[in-house]
Amino acid sequence: MNSLEKLFAELAVQKLQHQTRRHFLMDCVSKMGGLAMAPLLFGCEPGKLSKSTSGLQLSERDLNPLAPLPPPFLGKAKSIIYLHMAGAPSQLELFDYKPELAKYHDQACPESLLEGRKFAFIRGVPKMLGPQAKFSQHGESGAWVSDYLPHFAKVADEVAFLKAMHTDQFNHGPAQLFMQTGSARLGRPSLGSWVTYGLGTENQNLPGFVVLTSGGKTPDAGKSVWGSGFLPSVYQGVQCRSKGDPVLYLEDPSGMSRDLKKNVISAINQANQEDFETFGDPEILSRINQYEMAYRMQIEVPEVMNINDEPEYMHELYGTKSGEESFANNCLLARKLVEKGVRVVQLYDWGWDTHGTDHDGSIDMGLRNKCREIDRPMAALLLDLKQRGLLEETLVVWGGEFGRTPMQENREGKQMGFLGRDHHVDAFTMWMAGGGVKKGTSYGITDDFGFAGVDERVSVHDLHATILHLMGFDHEKFTYDFQGRPFRLTDVHGELIHSVLA
Amino acid sequence: MNRNQLAILLSLLIGISVIGFFFFGREKEVDYSSEIKPILNKHCITCHGGVKKSGGFSLLFEEEAFAPTESGHPAIIPGDPNSSELIKRLTHSDPELRMPYQRPALSEEEIELLKTWIKQGAKWGKHWAYEPVKEPEITSQIQSAGIGSTDREANLAPIDLLIREKLTEKGMIPSMEEQPLRLLRRVALDLTGLPPSDSLVSDFSAGKITYEQAVDQLLSSPAYGEKWAAWWLDLARYADTKGYERDVSRTMWPYRDWVIRAFNDDKPFDEFTIEQLAGDLLPNPTQDQLTATAFHRNTMNNDEGGTQDEEFRVAALLDRVNTTYEVWQSTTMACVQCHSHTYDPIRHEEYYQSAAFFNNTRDEDTHDEEPRLRFYEEAQQGQIEAVLNWTKAQEGEKAAKIRGDFLKFFEPKYAAHLATDFNKAELIDTKWLGLWPGGSAVYKNIDTQGSDQMLLDYWTGINGTQMTIRKDGPEGEVLASFVINKTEGEIVRQIPFKPVSGKVNLYFEAKNPSAKPQQNTSAIVWFAFVPSLKGKDKPGFAQVQNSWEELLKFRGTRLPILIENPPYMSRTTQVFERGNWMVPGDQVKPKTPAEFGGWQEKWPANRLGFAYWLTSAENPLTSRTLVNRIWDQLFGRGIVRTLEDMGSQSDPPTHPELLDYLAWKTMNDYDWSIKSLIREIVTSQTYKQSSAISAEAYRQDPDNQWYARGPRFRLSAEQVRDQALAVSGLLSRKMYGPGVKPPQPEGIWQTVYNGESWTESEGEDRYRRGIYTFLKRTSPYPSFISFDAGSREVCLSKRLVTNTPLQALVTLNDPVYLEAAKNLGKKTWEKSSGNAERAISQAYEQLVLSPISEGKKKTLLELYASAKTEFTQDPKALEEFYPGAKPEEAAMAVVANAMMNLDEFLTKP
Repeated sequence: MNSLEKLFAELAVQKLQHQTRRHFLMDCVSKMGGLAMAPLLFGCEPGKLSKSTSGLQLSERDLNPLAPLPPPFLGKAKSIIYLHMAGAPSQLELFDYKPELAKYHDQACPESLLEGRKFAFIRGVPKMLGPQAKFSQHGESGAWVSDYLPHFAKVADEVAFLKAMHTDQFNHGPAQLFMQTGSARLGRPSLGSWVTYGLGTENQNLPGFVVLTSGGKTPDAGKSVWGSGFLPSVYQGVQCRSKGDPVLYLEDPSGMSRDLKKNVISAINQANQEDFETFGDPEILSRINQYEMAYRMQIEVPEVMNINDEPEYMHELYGTKSGEESFANNCLLARKLVEKGVRVVQLYDWGWDTHGTDHDGSIDMGLRNKCREIDRPMAALLLDLKQRGLLEETLVVWGGEFGRTPMQENREGKQMGFLGRDHHVDAFTMWMAGGGVKKGTSYGITDDFGFAGVDERVSVHDLHATILHLMGFDHEKFTYDFQGRPFRLTDVHGELIHSVLA
Repeated sequence: MNRNQLAILLSLLIGISVIGFFFFGREKEVDYSSEIKPILNKHCITCHGGVKKSGGFSLLFEEEAFAPTESGHPAIIPGDPNSSELIKRLTHSDPELRMPYQRPALSEEEIELLKTWIKQGAKWGKHWAYEPVKEPEITSQIQSAGIGSTDREANLAPIDLLIREKLTEKGMIPSMEEQPLRLLRRVALDLTGLPPSDSLVSDFSAGKITYEQAVDQLLSSPAYGEKWAAWWLDLARYADTKGYERDVSRTMWPYRDWVIRAFNDDKPFDEFTIEQLAGDLLPNPTQDQLTATAFHRNTMNNDEGGTQDEEFRVAALLDRVNTTYEVWQSTTMACVQCHSHTYDPIRHEEYYQSAAFFNNTRDEDTHDEEPRLRFYEEAQQGQIEAVLNWTKAQEGEKAAKIRGDFLKFFEPKYAAHLATDFNKAELIDTKWLGLWPGGSAVYKNIDTQGSDQMLLDYWTGINGTQMTIRKDGPEGEVLASFVINKTEGEIVRQIPFKPVSGKVNLYFEAKNPSAKPQQNTSAIVWFAFVPSLKGKDKPGFAQVQNSWEELLKFRGTRLPILIENPPYMSRTTQVFERGNWMVPGDQVKPKTPAEFGGWQEKWPANRLGFAYWLTSAENPLTSRTLVNRIWDQLFGRGIVRTLEDMGSQSDPPTHPELLDYLAWKTMNDYDWSIKSLIREIVTSQTYKQSSAISAEAYRQDPDNQWYARGPRFRLSAEQVRDQALAVSGLLSRKMYGPGVKPPQPEGIWQTVYNGESWTESEGEDRYRRGIYTFLKRTSPYPSFISFDAGSREVCLSKRLVTNTPLQALVTLNDPVYLEAAKNLGKKTWEKSSGNAERAISQAYEQLVLSPISEGKKKTLLELYASAKTEFTQDPKALEEFYPGAKPEEAAMAVVANAMMNLDEFLTKP
């Protein structure tokens, strides 16, 4: 079978599955009103709820807005793991090797780079800052990766680098919003919400869009970066936490046993069932379904969020420690979640804003330490997904909200105590791996200073268009009506980057 | 109405139209708005209008449609369909030339309609929504149809008549009236957001008061304002924090309280509008009128270091334009920000003409959010009076007015961020001016109004800085010279200033030999020019001067408000090319969009004029918008479904006559009284119908757009919580004041660079109504978010209603709901003297105001029994679940928890 035939065959199977699920559902609705509660609490008792439901024309989504839907065309990826380094890591110390820049180290920045440009903190004429890391080429693809990321260097053949990314926002909050919602202003749905809205999710016992944070803080733009904007709130990211309830109000009140909770939900649903008979409002069926899902989430979420049962070699591979709120733990959790059928897993790691104001914020020391926190888990995530055969259907995206200047920061014209780089919009590196991505590629060329892209530039909208494409959407047709007009993740922009598609 | 009466009515209506037909000619005139525009919008306008004008042809504006296209000839020749290129292209045999290009052809009927329209002269018309609201004929219709004779039909109000008309057309039958107590619960939840009080329930069920009297009681309850304010605050994007990265707290609650009071006082909607948009421009505005203008200070404010205040001032300005049009005109202006509207006849430059009305306020995205209205204490009012009387006596009315205004809102003043030409100086965190030793900066084009005194707001931690302010530059004339020493926090200081006239450049320099080379000698926040108090040699001066200085120290409640720029500080407005504020184009003057009409030359060309324009009877959209949204609040959908848009892209109204009837009546008969409008709707038969539905009826009208049944939908986020607290007796009825912080799980607030934390409120503040819950934009109260409340970053016309497992987790497990369940369980347990069956029946009846069915009673009794068994067998679990309680009480709490999760309880009946 050639690949095209294979695609069609797969599509046919998917369609069939979808119809079957739908068929099953309608059957269940007409027979007993509640769908998944049946096996758990009542058992499927045909005829119990016959009279008023049978005529309702309900879609699966009417009962469960997170029910899975096939994409408009067959995407390569089924789920996304997005690793966002909040604060914006320096591309010049990690992936974008600039030997020329080293030669200009400590020299005054040429006026041509400063003309007509605004920076967040640099004022006047700053000095150039050469790369602070050692670079070498890795793997068959010969990818340049610095010695800040020795483990990741070993899996560099798995990824496609985007080295001439650019954005138009040079402050964290707006830039993170732009990267995650396609707009620098608050109020738009996040990428994860769009995808969950479009595809639903495979596992109804877990949220469809999970957010995990590390680094001690949420991103600068707050929870809006995983908000659902004008999309229904059911599509917003659900933050799963390492401390306290993994999902808010997940835990039963103390002293209430699981059995008792089951009885509570069973009683609620039976009474609601009776109301449905009386009032005929299909929202009641949906509520019955949601209560049952809540009950199952209470079981499955703590299970999936618990990494204690992972074998020792897994902990070693990722560098995880139980009970910590760390990027490593979150990477392992991300794998567990996509394995369980979660659609979008979004990681935010805070602490990449290396201005040189202090030790932790220095390019030569702070950044190196920060890289240590992500190096091993990031590589482990790719390897682990690969060995489980999940990498083919999981899109992994890595990046910050912008890049860093080749110049040394001189905050408000002052000499800084440590080596730092200011925010930079004209060039930064991101990478993608997995589902549908052409591995071992590098796309995008920056100038000798790594100041700006000179070829194969990729905008934030282009990146979004490409991610949506990999998930099976035409970004120009994937819209939602709000305030009287159709909205898109990519607004009126975005070009698909064909060169990084497998 | 019985069938005979209906038949009479129908034949009358038919008769009228038949007569009309013979009177007005044989061929029916094609109506552009209702028949032609929809065809053009559907098939043509994406390529021939707005952004795209393929072939040089656009159908958006009248003059474009009849102008020569690229071919050199117009595409529409009125009177001659056969020579009109438009018609030729629709029927062309060559697929390359046939329109719509590469898409299915128009139907024969559509083409025929277009032909007839052109033949009849191709008369252009306005979209229905842009036609002024006309006096409806409904009143005379009712009278002539002779309805109103017997029993239930006697209550057929105009609303019902218009609803019945459509139902009859659709072959649908209205539902019976809802059971009285369920109806009472519905209307109480709708009007006050709370279940009806015990006394209302007993008076009503004993027949002491009628339904209409109950409605009046509910409308006059203070809870009414709290309920409806929640609706308005979504539109106003009210929140207790600034938004963006740091998202720190701001004082906006006096505005929220103003909204609650305005609803309770039934402030007419025109006044309500004018005060919020332009209260500051009214003659001698009151404190309340100034408070109202905080409506447009709910825009976000960006404190992130490195952000340019001007960029975010402009963002706020554009948000004000978009919000104003969405809130009052159901019009999406955001598109026009970048290009002429694709569908609605509004031009790109018209957007900026509207923006010009709003572009002259003092606020500039500064960190302190000035201008802010001061809420002085009682004692300070006396001081103000003394200062102003003194000023009036010494210098006259005008000087007193200037000083009085300054005390109210500290304007006009110049913010530090206007500094330029930094030399050994910085804008600290892009907010405050910091001069290093020997440093300088310049403020250009400053109008000192010839003042002999400058007020300087600053703070510093070091002593001995010699500050000099010169005219123009380092060699310029010295205008002020003074020493700055360590302050205790931020201060406002009076500095003698050499009077100069006209606009000058002010050169600020600082010298301090003991400071480090790159150390800021101080942080300057703003400066203003307010003359010194005169009459130094007169008795009593010292006391007045002292009062003045005390007042300058005011640090109490300060509310961000709108204040217009004085003429010498006014801004010009330019078009932004493609919406980009960095690319300004032609300058524009304030002007309302031509298509909307109704501007009167007597109005001032500022926000006040704009507000008059919005609320004039000629404005086609304000009253329709208001009616549509109130209707939506009560029925769960608008008469025009798309609440945010009534333009060409909106759904047509399901009941256009009803929309216009209510709009006309609200403006004219009710004089913009919202309570009267609500009262008319909730006393209609349409509203009072039962919400039960058969499968057949559901299939016929799943969205209930024809109203053959009553409204039934889940309660709002605030209602869900308020109701639980109310029925369990926990709800505090304390009104107004700063936002409260009821318990929420730890670790919810994690905002960078923001030292604030969620400090749980104490005592009754933990049980206040949801409208008083502190709303942090980047991290709102979690259970409200689960129940679809917004984070209030932008205007929200409609909350979506979702149904999710996370909601179930909130009402099952959130400690607040558990506490409510325990209280409710305890109350009913005691009342029923420990009889479980009675307790369950009573509790259920208290929750939903209808008797419990045998089935539900059985289910809940079983739950009670299993819980009781479990707690009896496991005393440790009992102690954990409900310390100090008996197994029966704990079991009753479990049952109450289940009851408070019933669909019936969470849903408006």
